[in-house]
Amino acid sequence: MTGTELQMLLSGAWTTVWISAIAIVGGVPLGLVLGLGRVAGIPVLSQLLALYISIGRATPLVTLVLLLFVGLPVVGINIDAVTAGVLTLLLNTATFNAEIWRSVYQSFPRGQIEAAQAVGMQKGAIFRRIMLPQMSVAALPGLMNEATLLVKASPAIAVIGIVDLTRVTDRISARTYEPLPPIIAAGIIYMIIIAGMVRLQRVLEKRAAKWSA
Amino acid sequence: MPDAVPALEARHISKTFGELEVLRDISLVVNPGDTISVLGPSGSGKSTMLRCLNFLETPDRGQVLLAGEPVGRRADGRLVSDKELAKSRARMGMVFQSFNLWPHFTVLQNVIEAPTKVLGLSKDEAVARAEGLLAKVGLADKRDVYPFALSGGQKQRVAIARALCMKPDVLLFDEPTSALDPELVGEVLAVMRDLAKEGMTMVVVTHEMGFARDVCDEVVFMDRGVVVEHAPPAEFFGNPKTERAQRFLSRYA
Repeated sequence: MTGTELQMLLSGAWTTVWISAIAIVGGVPLGLVLGLGRVAGIPVLSQLLALYISIGRATPLVTLVLLLFVGLPVVGINIDAVTAGVLTLLLNTATFNAEIWRSVYQSFPRGQIEAAQAVGMQKGAIFRRIMLPQMSVAALPGLMNEATLLVKASPAIAVIGIVDLTRVTDRISARTYEPLPPIIAAGIIYMIIIAGMVRLQRVLEKRAAKWSA
Repeated sequence: MPDAVPALEARHISKTFGELEVLRDISLVVNPGDTISVLGPSGSGKSTMLRCLNFLETPDRGQVLLAGEPVGRRADGRLVSDKELAKSRARMGMVFQSFNLWPHFTVLQNVIEAPTKVLGLSKDEAVARAEGLLAKVGLADKRDVYPFALSGGQKQRVAIARALCMKPDVLLFDEPTSALDPELVGEVLAVMRDLAKEGMTMVVVTHEMGFARDVCDEVVFMDRGVVVEHAPPAEFFGNPKTERAQRFLSRYA
């Protein structure tokens, strides 16, 4: 591989990183809203969210990205490939995150909530001050696991022409007629990205460790 | 002072869990400065009764009055808003069997959280108040420690300081020593004894017969969801009237 091809590889890697990053940063809070909305017991809305989460988890990324890219223009919404790709990953990861948030919410120790109620704290303050900080720590391994899965599943959006870290290997081997080197290089870059995420998780967990013995 | 307004009063409280009638027509009067022990075998409904006083359990029927004002439910029977209920609860401290400290907060943060967020005290005021209370329960040196590093007895004393920091009118204790190792029970009871002496109004659900006999002004004995006896401790322990209370006490003799 020459310098140009290396540049192509890095540009593909960058595409994978930033598209995934937006999906993760947006998908974590969206998952929280979906997960809590699902168990809030609000008539109709909670059922709709449960349905959305089930469909979202069951829909392959390739199907979803094609649906958005091809389907939305049919109903008059124009969408470019990159937006469709980001949206696909975000909507998909949010449904998995919703289940993670839901389970940490439902397993939150009842006694701590009662202690907060007993001193006169109201729902919003109890959630913000008592529950969310602890739920975040409890959800972190699951959320990070889902985030790494998302990065590894992200090549699915190449189907609508986005040149990510996987798709770019095709382009490079089309120039060099040597498919193996770019594939190996891409594999190494994926590992570096995931390793960075795992490192981030360690740092965050350490910060929480001072109170969770 | 028989005509003084009771600090806390329950009138004809009833509660069912599904088919099970847990509380049947419970009434209770707690005068200011009194310490009341609620005794009874497990399953007698004493914890549920206590939790109805601050509406952690919503009674099906009946009224709770805090210094004469209705708690949780208006005179017409409608439940009050969350905000109003929170206001009543802020005036009643509660100490739980399992401490229920917030593990992500230090000892000091546990104690000042509600005074700053609910009462609106400044941080300095709250910290000053909290430090005084932590000294009082013998834990001044633990203020910056997280709960996981404390023993059960220490946790419970922090929980008492947390409740006291709200300057409550009444303190409710739900079996505060039942989760403690036997050698740690004494340090918690000593704090409660001091509070009783200082004139704190307390309702204590407990299995500590010694505490009930020596510290309390009145004993309420419950069985199967009803108040079976209601007497000063000397009378209850010396001369229990009902066969049920006699049997209960014989197991602790």
